[in-house]
Amino acid sequence: MSTLEDLKTAVINGKRKDVKVIVPELLESGVEPTSLLQDALIPAMAIVGERFKNNEVFVPEMLVSARAMKQAMAIIEPKLLEAGISPEYTAIIGTVEGDLHDIGKNLVATMWKGTGFDVIDLGVNVPAAKFLEAIDEYKPQIVGLSTLLTTTMPAMKETVAAIRNAGHSKVMILIGGAPITQSYADEIGADGFSKDAGSAVDIAKTTLGIA
Amino acid sequence: MLHPPYAILACDVFSDELIELGGDPPPWRALEFLEMGLHDQPDKLRQKIQQSIHDLESDREVQAIVLAYGRCGNGLVGIRAQRCPLILPQAHDCISILLGGREAHDAQLKKTPGTYFYSPGWVRGKRVPGPDREAYLREFYAERYADDEDMIDELVEVDRDAFEHHNCAAYVSIVDRPATADYCKDCAKHMQWEHTTLKGDPSFLQDLLNGNWQPTRFLTVEPGQCVAADVEGNLVAID
Ligand code: B12
Repeated sequence: MSTLEDLKTAVINGKRKDVKVIVPELLESGVEPTSLLQDALIPAMAIVGERFKNNEVFVPEMLVSARAMKQAMAIIEPKLLEAGISPEYTAIIGTVEGDLHDIGKNLVATMWKGTGFDVIDLGVNVPAAKFLEAIDEYKPQIVGLSTLLTTTMPAMKETVAAIRNAGHSKVMILIGGAPITQSYADEIGADGFSKDAGSAVDIAKTTLGIA
Repeated sequence: MLHPPYAILACDVFSDELIELGGDPPPWRALEFLEMGLHDQPDKLRQKIQQSIHDLESDREVQAIVLAYGRCGNGLVGIRAQRCPLILPQAHDCISILLGGREAHDAQLKKTPGTYFYSPGWVRGKRVPGPDREAYLREFYAERYADDEDMIDELVEVDRDAFEHHNCAAYVSIVDRPATADYCKDCAKHMQWEHTTLKGDPSFLQDLLNGNWQPTRFLTVEPGQCVAADVEGNLVAID
């Protein structure tokens, strides 16, 4: 019989095929879908993130783990819906204009989904105007901006300004990406910053006042 | 141009350009290259550069240290020297340096956001997206996952996915390297991307080598000061 610990190990080691077997087994044996997320998937990705930070694994290895987590989510999501658990919060996320890096953004999106947010992913190279349209359409509580290039940090600043100028004062803007710092977030008027996907969940909850 | 005897610490990505533009005899007193792959880990890059600066400074004849590096994902932020001033280009990365400045780099990205840039240095590593990358990755991961063919396949697949938003290979040419230029075309074909050649602008590297360190294009960091970045994205020296 598989355990939550087995699921965690499978995600850490990027074993997508094992995940496909373990998740249905656990669900069948009565483990709550939310527990799979909170007690196995999210902690697993936090560990992978930690290993990446310590240069123990490389970007592709982290991606293989993220794929395994996505595999699990694909099985779990319909169960959550069946159980009538509908997301209470909506977040939109995207990589700013001029930047095509999306690995970090995708991890954050996956982790936010994992904590139960409805996440709208706008993709890469997203102009400020597109963020504004999406805010009007989805009325999110959170907007996440990502950038990996120092050359596109100004585009992030402009996007924050555009959102504020459009009168969306209540939506929480969170930013991230390797060159981003807390002082940069303060400087451009973002509500929060996080340096990895694990703390992206914490900061989202804190800014929403649900931590 | 008059300049103090300097040592140059350079990213290996510039080796073809620097050696050729440097001429004979070269203008530097000492030249050291650091491996290009370091840029994938800005913290490691910073450590290595700091160590090399320390070593180069121990040559008492050296009066300045020139860095052929950009900001490189903040890999250069925090760098300092004890005895010599540091001179570094006001640039985000090697692509801007090879294109002569930020404007040409931005113009290409504006025109084709999915551009991946190639140059002799980028190609030398054979890690660029193209016909040899997969073999390189398989070899690289073979040691770690020797008995796990599945894992290696997965790694190759996620690596391929990583380039899905790119659609153009742009070869930046400063020195004449026909074989490399052709290789970039092969890469474009392999990736099913369009291909373009951008004429590089050697002036940034020439000024760097010749001591033409105008404050508009180069930052001078006095001994004891340290490299930082301001909100506008410019490199600055702080105490
Ligand atoms: C992988 C990578 C690529 C991949 C990207 C694949 C993809 N689909 O994303 C490829 C090879 C395609 C690539 C392309 C390029 N790259 Co690149 N790339 C990297 C590299 C090595 C790692 C980035 C990464 O994915 N890290 C792993 C993730 C998990 O970490 P992360 O992104 O930081 O995200 C975490 C946190 O920051 C945070 N976070 C991120 N976003 C958000 C958002 C929110 C809301 C929150 C709360 C948190 C958060 O949480 C994340 C998860 O833990 C970096 C170097 C580095 N170590 O940073 C260079 C780097 C970013 N690239 C660089 C360059 C130069 C390029 C190219 C221009 C190269 C070229 N020859 O053309 C092109 C750019 C094209 C473009 N227009 O965007 C430079 C940037 C220099 C600069 N100007 O700033 C870097 C710094 C390397 C270097 N030193 O030269 N790159």
